[in-house]
Amino acid sequence: MAVAITLRSVTKTYSRGGETLRVLDELDLDMDGGTFYALMGPSGSGKTTLLNLVGGLDHCDSGLVQVGGDDLNSLSASELAAWRSANVGFVFQGFNLLPVLSARENVELPLLLAPLSRKQRREQAERALELVGLKDRMKHKPRELSGGQEQRVAIARAIATDPQVLLADEPTGDLDRESADAVLQIMQRLNRELNKTVLMVTHDPQAATYADQTIHLDKGKLGGIEDNRTEAGAN
Amino acid sequence: MPWTLLFRNMIGHPVRSTLTVLSVAVALALLCVLDATARGYTAAVDLAAQNRLVVMSQVSLFVPLPLSYQSKIQQVEGVKTTTKFQWFGGEFGDRGGFFAQFGIDAESFESMYPEIGLVEGSFEEFRGERTGCVIGKGLADQFGWAIGDSVPLTTPLFPRGKSGEEAWTFVVRGIYKALRPNFDEQTMFFHFDYLRESLEAGAALGPPGVGTYAIEIDSGVRAETVMTAVDGLFENGPQRVRTTPEAEFNRQFLSMMGNIPLLLRSIGGAVLFAIFFAVLNTMLMAGRERTRDLGIMKALGFKNGYIGAMLVMESMLLILIGSVLGIALAHLLAGIMKPFVSGWAPGFAIDGAVLLNGLAMAAALGLISGLAPGLRAAKILPVRALREDA
Ligand SMILES: Nc1ncnc2c1ncn2[C@@H]1O[C@H](COP(=O)(O)OP(=O)(O)O)[C@@H](O)[C@H]1O
Ligand SMILES: [Mg+2]
Repeated sequence: MAVAITLRSVTKTYSRGGETLRVLDELDLDMDGGTFYALMGPSGSGKTTLLNLVGGLDHCDSGLVQVGGDDLNSLSASELAAWRSANVGFVFQGFNLLPVLSARENVELPLLLAPLSRKQRREQAERALELVGLKDRMKHKPRELSGGQEQRVAIARAIATDPQVLLADEPTGDLDRESADAVLQIMQRLNRELNKTVLMVTHDPQAATYADQTIHLDKGKLGGIEDNRTEAGAN
Repeated sequence: MPWTLLFRNMIGHPVRSTLTVLSVAVALALLCVLDATARGYTAAVDLAAQNRLVVMSQVSLFVPLPLSYQSKIQQVEGVKTTTKFQWFGGEFGDRGGFFAQFGIDAESFESMYPEIGLVEGSFEEFRGERTGCVIGKGLADQFGWAIGDSVPLTTPLFPRGKSGEEAWTFVVRGIYKALRPNFDEQTMFFHFDYLRESLEAGAALGPPGVGTYAIEIDSGVRAETVMTAVDGLFENGPQRVRTTPEAEFNRQFLSMMGNIPLLLRSIGGAVLFAIFFAVLNTMLMAGRERTRDLGIMKALGFKNGYIGAMLVMESMLLILIGSVLGIALAHLLAGIMKPFVSGWAPGFAIDGAVLLNGLAMAAALGLISGLAPGLRAAKILPVRALREDA
């Protein structure tokens, strides 16, 4: 049951100092379920804003945002919170983990909202960490982990509740090539083996090659979609 | 797990949390001690006997009443016993040896004040010796006096001998403990007759008469009736009197020293403010620096109420830990202070009422000081919080 994402004529504006900024401008976009998308575009083109709308962190001003059949505009802030915890996993731009919690405790955090026993939470968190290859680091605090390991823990946290949609905002932005590749491979596996719909913002064309398709965003409008699988198809 | 997070956040800033906890502890200890003092101070009023009245001059407590009044009062319908109370104003040694002494009628005093319980010596031995006296356990401990010891006192009210500086000497014949906290254990009682005889014999100078008379009324008699009757006796002089219930008299006597309970409680109020600001400051800082963390939690699906409650709980937790330490500290302080305050605050003790009051105040303020950062945290928008660079 792969989850598709549909945006119809989505507009999002921010007002700053009396000026209105049209960050997303009547955007239409269809994303198939179970597909790995890279989202590219210049800084300020509205990538993070788009991710926030799809993830139910914010409402759009007008238009339709539909994720797996759920119309996100019809949900209240509190309903959205519950919806997020059940349906999406986030990997945010920059620091992701709560510094006072260990890797496993960070992964357990979203599971607190699920009807699970303490033991079940632990097991599920450990399984997620195993999936990203960091079970042996589960007792470490974030500051004892490398940047790449931190992002992998963040991915483990994002998938701990087994959501069908994974949203990642420049997850490899601060990483060296090798760590970035490890993170990207995990994302790809999650898409291919667990059939999750993945939307990943990136500046790095090489990172985008891990995705099935690349969406280009420019000044709040769709700049085009390219299919990476038709080229070499090496991934 | 939310508790894990709570505790981790607290120990994440060990110095700040420790300072906050300590300030709560010190503040609560002070609050308890001040409250105990205020309560102890008013115990004389709160626990005053219902069946005792005090007769004093209508002019002032410092104007003596004629000795002839006692037998007249004694004859009033409903009066069971009377005794005298004469302030002596003596000092022991050159400095620091001040305590209260009263001349009384030994027999009636013993029967009227059952809360004066002798733990050493006896009323019998006291009665048998003209210069005998009964002293409080506190005094005995403070000056190391025992049965049979002589206590030399000088007083400007009743100068003795040619120089006027000769000492009055009293012999300790009884040591009492207060069986109820309305009486202090820092007072000396001696025979009024010893004073009177000395004055009459010319051995000492001073005003004749008595400061106040105390009355015990018959059971079943209305105090008001007796009060009106006694006041009426001397309506035409030579010295008009005012009769009041013991509680009222004690209250007026205490208020002559200013409204000490109010003063103490005002200080306590200021101390409460200190708790409030200490915890508020800590929690505001904590909330602010955790904005991103809280935003992340909200993005994961934690609701606004949950996040707000988490900060309130954290502030309550700080208060709780501080309170436990504070109570221990209050007991320590009370032990040190007791000898110094029990003279004028006889009911001084860190008891259940004091603790309950202190804890209730602390809890209320923990709640209030957690509320501002809690509300702020509840209002955090995840999209904003996530844009803030951590
Ligand atoms: N809360 C906000 N208030 C005002 N302007 C905002 C806010 N959030 C984003 N913006 C502006 O919207 C534009 C798009 O932001 P964003 O979606 O983060 O772009 P990208 O992720 O592509 O760099 C930027 O110009 C940004 O400054
Ligand atoms: Mg961005």
